[in-house]
Amino acid sequence: MLRLDRRLLQNVDWILLGAALFIIGLSLVCLWSLNPGRGISSLVWRQVSWVGVGLIGLLVVVSVDYRNLVRTAPVLYVLGLGLLTSVFVLGRTVSGARRWIHLGPLTVQPSELFKLIFIITLAWALTAGRGERFSRGALIGTFVLLGVPFLLVVRQPDLGTALVLVPVLAATLVGIGIRMKVLGALTLAGVAAMPLGWFVLKPYQRDRLLVYLDPFRDPLGTAYNVIQAKIAIGSGQLLGKGVGGATQSRLSFLPERHTDFIFAVFAEMWGFLGCLVLIVAYVLLVMRGFEIAAGTRETRGRILALGVTTVFAAQILINIGMVTGLLPIVGIPLPLMSYGGSSMVVSLTALGLLLSIRMRQFH
Amino acid sequence: MALSAPPPNRREAWGRRVLALAVVTAVAFLGLVGQLWYLQVLEGGRMHELSEKNRIRIRPVAAPRGILFDRNGLALVDNRPAFTLSLIPREMEDRNSVVARLSVLLKMPVGDLLEALERVPADSIRPVRVRRGLSLEEVTKVEERKLELPGVIVEVEPQRVYPTSTFAAHLLGYVREVSDEQMKQGRYRRGDMIGQSGLERLLDEYLRGRDGGERIEVDALGRPVQVMRREEPDPGAQVITTIDRRIQEIAEQAMAGKAGSVVVLDPRNGDVLALTSSPAFPLDRLTGNIDREEWLRLVKDPMAPLMNRALQGQYPPGSVFKIIVAAAGLQEGSLAPMDQVYCNGAFSLGHWTFKDWKAGGHGHVDLRSAIAQSCDVYFYQAGLKVGGDAMARYAQAFGLGAPTGIDLGGERFGLVPFSASRPRSKRPWQAGDTVNMSIGQGQLLVTPLQVARMMGAVANGGILWKPRLVQRVARADGSLAYSASSKMTERVELSPVVWAFLRNALAAVVKEGTGAAARLPGLDIAGKTGTAQTIAKSDSAKGQDHAWFASFAPADDPQAVVVVFVERGGHGGEVAAPIARKIYEAIFLQKVAQVTLGESG
Repeated sequence: MLRLDRRLLQNVDWILLGAALFIIGLSLVCLWSLNPGRGISSLVWRQVSWVGVGLIGLLVVVSVDYRNLVRTAPVLYVLGLGLLTSVFVLGRTVSGARRWIHLGPLTVQPSELFKLIFIITLAWALTAGRGERFSRGALIGTFVLLGVPFLLVVRQPDLGTALVLVPVLAATLVGIGIRMKVLGALTLAGVAAMPLGWFVLKPYQRDRLLVYLDPFRDPLGTAYNVIQAKIAIGSGQLLGKGVGGATQSRLSFLPERHTDFIFAVFAEMWGFLGCLVLIVAYVLLVMRGFEIAAGTRETRGRILALGVTTVFAAQILINIGMVTGLLPIVGIPLPLMSYGGSSMVVSLTALGLLLSIRMRQFH
Repeated sequence: MALSAPPPNRREAWGRRVLALAVVTAVAFLGLVGQLWYLQVLEGGRMHELSEKNRIRIRPVAAPRGILFDRNGLALVDNRPAFTLSLIPREMEDRNSVVARLSVLLKMPVGDLLEALERVPADSIRPVRVRRGLSLEEVTKVEERKLELPGVIVEVEPQRVYPTSTFAAHLLGYVREVSDEQMKQGRYRRGDMIGQSGLERLLDEYLRGRDGGERIEVDALGRPVQVMRREEPDPGAQVITTIDRRIQEIAEQAMAGKAGSVVVLDPRNGDVLALTSSPAFPLDRLTGNIDREEWLRLVKDPMAPLMNRALQGQYPPGSVFKIIVAAAGLQEGSLAPMDQVYCNGAFSLGHWTFKDWKAGGHGHVDLRSAIAQSCDVYFYQAGLKVGGDAMARYAQAFGLGAPTGIDLGGERFGLVPFSASRPRSKRPWQAGDTVNMSIGQGQLLVTPLQVARMMGAVANGGILWKPRLVQRVARADGSLAYSASSKMTERVELSPVVWAFLRNALAAVVKEGTGAAARLPGLDIAGKTGTAQTIAKSDSAKGQDHAWFASFAPADDPQAVVVVFVERGGHGGEVAAPIARKIYEAIFLQKVAQVTLGESG
């Protein structure tokens, strides 16, 4: 199955892979310092095993020609829709949202996986027509195809994931050269549809949305998180407090510290300089992604590469933005850093997709 | 038509656009670095200081629950401040020792405390309410030992108070902490107090309001230094019901010690003025801490105090049903007011004999006196003339066998048997069934509320109202959150002559017939007694009949419908009618008083 000829191996993007592994390393150090248990069930070891699963996913994707993957898009799409729908039936409700399903001892978050399927479907749908020109029909078809899962994700409700899908779509459309007039019209339509969405939401969902927009509506919940996260980050100062001195994180003043707010833990421990290193690693990763997208000739590869890169960029920016108080709180993990199986496996698989495109760039 | 740029230079164009996206992304990353510079370098010192002390605590401020008022603006429930013992998991550094100390101090089982804590994440900042309604003495004990009890706080929460323990219990419903099951709906937070039954549940969204909170700065010992920010709670909305507190109270007093139900409606608009079900459950006991034994006792009580008999109890209507038989017979022409029957106390049909309630019989009776005296023999024959199907059709037209649509949950349908609808497996409909049905026995089942609605229709000339309990809900700022107008659900079309006859005959029941015990000077009451046989007649302890009195007044200008039902109470005329009399006294207090004064003076 792994038919990797030498020519392919020569084109492995070591910078991309290196940046990703470096970030994962930082994540493991962070998790270990939060929960320094040595047992096999500790956070670190569980995360390590997820990294293992993710790397297998990466290898599988790398060994397959991504064009074949795009051809299976309809199957993946239907499968993905099924998973998303199953959440409503089998789903486990955690703080009001049904995002997870049980598979034996594991809980899987289908919306996480769907980010990837979304991109593959995008590449498939936009190139489904003849030739290299993107027709209006293909565009409308794309919107219909992606509107359904989008609504499913919103209903879970998983606003964070849904919000990530929007920039991916936007970037792809910009990439394929949609006319600015059309893009403008779409943006306007989206803005106009927002109040409509408001009426579709249940009252408690509206409440939640208002909390997103104004954290002080809910001084006990989200506002607390933001305040404590800001204190944690700020108190790291220039050089950080080190692993032992991170009181904010160690004394568990920080909420969700190993998942969505892990950046705050990192910032407290390693300070501004540490953050700079981490951000440089992320920028390296994202810029390599853009480079791969720019350097690819084949249309499906271009769209895939751009989509994957945008997913990474959007998640990183939104997550760090919200933890540092620039953006409202939405539930988005920090790729490769946050604890969580679904996110880690999907991130590494997505990375595999980028590598795979890069390796076959010159075919 | 192509939406994309023209094909030449495609590659370059793609590259340019990707570059543009990359630049946008890079700028965004620069923004993040800027924010980090601000937080960590410029503000770093201050943030460090804050983290050193970590002095910020967040406390919820509970929203007072909305008040329910009666139609005259009298409160049906109220709030008073109550002390609640809460634990904040995140601030409890050594959970076990704190719990142990607390358990000794307040004599609470350690298990209960730990169980409450285990339901929430160990790092939750939200207080877990472990005991409501602390006494002042207990509050002092906790406050004195505050330093040994990190993470233990005493909150002041508004709590429900009721006029009396069981006042309007089924109507109002109880309020209790959200259950694990309800938590799954995702609408509530642990520790929220929500309406669990009755109007409290129906209107919970309005009544609950929204909790506020305050961010306070504390010193190293956890004592508050200053309030940094306070978000005021939104108090719950106020509910104006259709209930008349005075009538409700009188009705409950009159039913004290009896099982059954009283329903008082306004026949002009369907407003529910009073609705009782006894025995009632103690609201205050269910509201506070969950007392398992008390709960089990209520659930297992053979008298079923949790059941709202007014709409969930299904009973044979007994002779009250004769109103339907008379209405059907007159309207269909199978009965005429002047037809006479000789009642010798028994009626034979084939080899069956049906007895009259009065041994020896009533002698010569016509329809009016048959209603007034509740003569069974007359109605056995009348039922056969009218026919089972017509009786069933009229019963349904008067709303029997169907829910009234009242806003309280769990309403039962009752049952109107139909000769055609009898399942094949059972024996077919026989003449004996028709005879039984004509005096409201057999399979016929009604709820007291259905009977009240039916009497309302007799009183107002055929309009079946949807019973209205809530007039309006007003938010704290005065705006209207909800309002309901009277709704007519169905209309019974009878000739005016029939209506007039029925009202006249029902007035005769009280003036000269079986309902004499309801008689009040100065007030013409129209009504019908009913004594319904129960199935378990042989059981001597329980063997009494159900007593009914269904009525309205004044007979010529009906303003109130009063239905009294006493479970296994005995004869309707002897047991239920005097209760109705007390209620009319309360409703028409002034009118009755004037006449009484006039007579004595």
